[in-house]
Amino acid sequence: MEKLNEKISGFPAYFKDWIKTFRGKVTVLCLIGLILLPLANPNPYIMGIFNTFMIYAIFAVSWDFLAGYVGQVSFGHAIFLGVSGYATAYIIKYFAWPWWSALLLGAVIAVLFGIIVGVPALRLKGPYLALGTLAMSLILYQLFLMGSLGIMWKNAFGTDLFGTDGLGQVPPISTNVDIQYYAILIIMCLSIAFLTHLVKSNIGTIFRAIRDDETGTSASGINTTKYKILAFLISGFFAGIAGGLYALRFSGVNPGVFQPLYSFYAIIMVAIGGIASLSGAALGAFIFVFLGEILRLLGDIPQLEVLGGFAEPIFIFSILLILIIRFAEHGLLGTLLEKLQSLWDIVLGR
Amino acid sequence: MGVILEVKNLTKKYSGLTAVNDMSFEVHRGEFTGLIGPNGAGKTTLFNLISGMEKPNSGVVRFDGYNITGMKPHKIVNLGIARTFQLVRSFKFMTLLDNISVSCLSPRGKKLAKEYGIDESASSILSAVGLVDKARIPPIILPHGDLRKLQIGKALGTNPKLLLLDEPFSGLTHEEQKGITDLIIKLHADGVSVFMTGHVLRELMNLVPRAIAMHQGKYITEGPPEEVARNKIVLEAYLGKGAEDLA
Repeated sequence: MEKLNEKISGFPAYFKDWIKTFRGKVTVLCLIGLILLPLANPNPYIMGIFNTFMIYAIFAVSWDFLAGYVGQVSFGHAIFLGVSGYATAYIIKYFAWPWWSALLLGAVIAVLFGIIVGVPALRLKGPYLALGTLAMSLILYQLFLMGSLGIMWKNAFGTDLFGTDGLGQVPPISTNVDIQYYAILIIMCLSIAFLTHLVKSNIGTIFRAIRDDETGTSASGINTTKYKILAFLISGFFAGIAGGLYALRFSGVNPGVFQPLYSFYAIIMVAIGGIASLSGAALGAFIFVFLGEILRLLGDIPQLEVLGGFAEPIFIFSILLILIIRFAEHGLLGTLLEKLQSLWDIVLGR
Repeated sequence: MGVILEVKNLTKKYSGLTAVNDMSFEVHRGEFTGLIGPNGAGKTTLFNLISGMEKPNSGVVRFDGYNITGMKPHKIVNLGIARTFQLVRSFKFMTLLDNISVSCLSPRGKKLAKEYGIDESASSILSAVGLVDKARIPPIILPHGDLRKLQIGKALGTNPKLLLLDEPFSGLTHEEQKGITDLIIKLHADGVSVFMTGHVLRELMNLVPRAIAMHQGKYITEGPPEEVARNKIVLEAYLGKGAEDLA
């Protein structure tokens, strides 16, 4: 109890220190911008892009937590996105639960699934873990594509699940665009705040030790398997939250969410922002979603049709990823903040 | 006194090579024991077997009343054996304080750290190994001698009864060696049993009252180091056949 009190009374000081840093100020500014956005009355299309960005930010942050802070690189993170997306959609559609409880249960189901996947997968190390998770996401993709399985399920339970159509007609969080937006914003902020606090805690120290040297961590008396599974489940929970929100945002899911492409999206977003930086991952998601949308609009211009596949987002992003790996391996956030700060100093005449 | 570590008929085979061959010996509580042998004698493999990093093909390791043969490394650490590595390991991107904190966060380390808190305990260990002024920097920019000290600090964080030091002097300047020697002597005086390897006899000679010699995975002899150094097989192992005449 005393400890808790100490923590609570310590919180404002911790927050004050953080907000004094340039990084803290910029983050708060961005947050205020996001809170005020609906007051500017943007059209629902713009709001929708912001919703997508925030959902992807949760997904990217969950991957960055696992890869950047625990050193466990998963190429199959779409598993969590898909399992929870399907679970959330299914619960809302066939059990008519309220969206938030379906979202939570969906994420918990993703976590339980993570135990099945994670416990054998975490015996693999380095590239083998990446390949193992990649293979598992492909298996799920194939399973959910199977029409014959869909017919069997329908005969047994009378509901849709497997098959190319996926689950559709899931009602949104709210028909009110603003409520929908704020709900997603709050969930994103809570997710990032929780994970940020976690990586700064004692458990976070153990996670980072496993990332830097797993054998050395066990020589320090830490049960690394236990902590790796814990990290996998925490990451899976938040990826699951992103998956459930995805189903709510796009009024359904189809087997496509299990594609390795979605895992790759997470990796691109984190690479853009900078690995082992949770706010960087969020920035990466922002750039990814908005640049992707601009590219998609460019692709719709008939005069640019000659460019054909070149305006395809994945084409551009893959090139961007190569450039980042080559020239800015620590991502754009750090560099961007430095540039902003020097600009700010010039403005203030320092 | 009593026996703290008992190794019995321990054998580790790799394809085509027996790295540790039917080794048996004892380490006493509170004792300062050396393990000598030329490069490739199997000293590191023996340490790996004791600390659980590798599993033996046969034989038994007993520590403080427990049979720890084939146990997971972290469980062995939490019973009270901590080790350092010949090739230094560290958590490269974490501060030295966090490097030590990891050990303090182990179940055994936590018991020791409970009273003062993790940070406080970790910094007291840092000052014990002489690195407290570098608490906030990561190990990637440390000189080799400091990394060796950090390793010992990490081991101390788990509050060990027995400290296994694998070549704690390797790659150090004379000055740095002296610093580590003083540190080890101090730890031993504080009551930690120390079992250390070295392939340079001279380093160990003045330090340990008793040394165990091994060669090609086999137990050769044990006793006061000056006696061990006069052993025919030990001399041959270090200097080749006919070395006795030289000595």
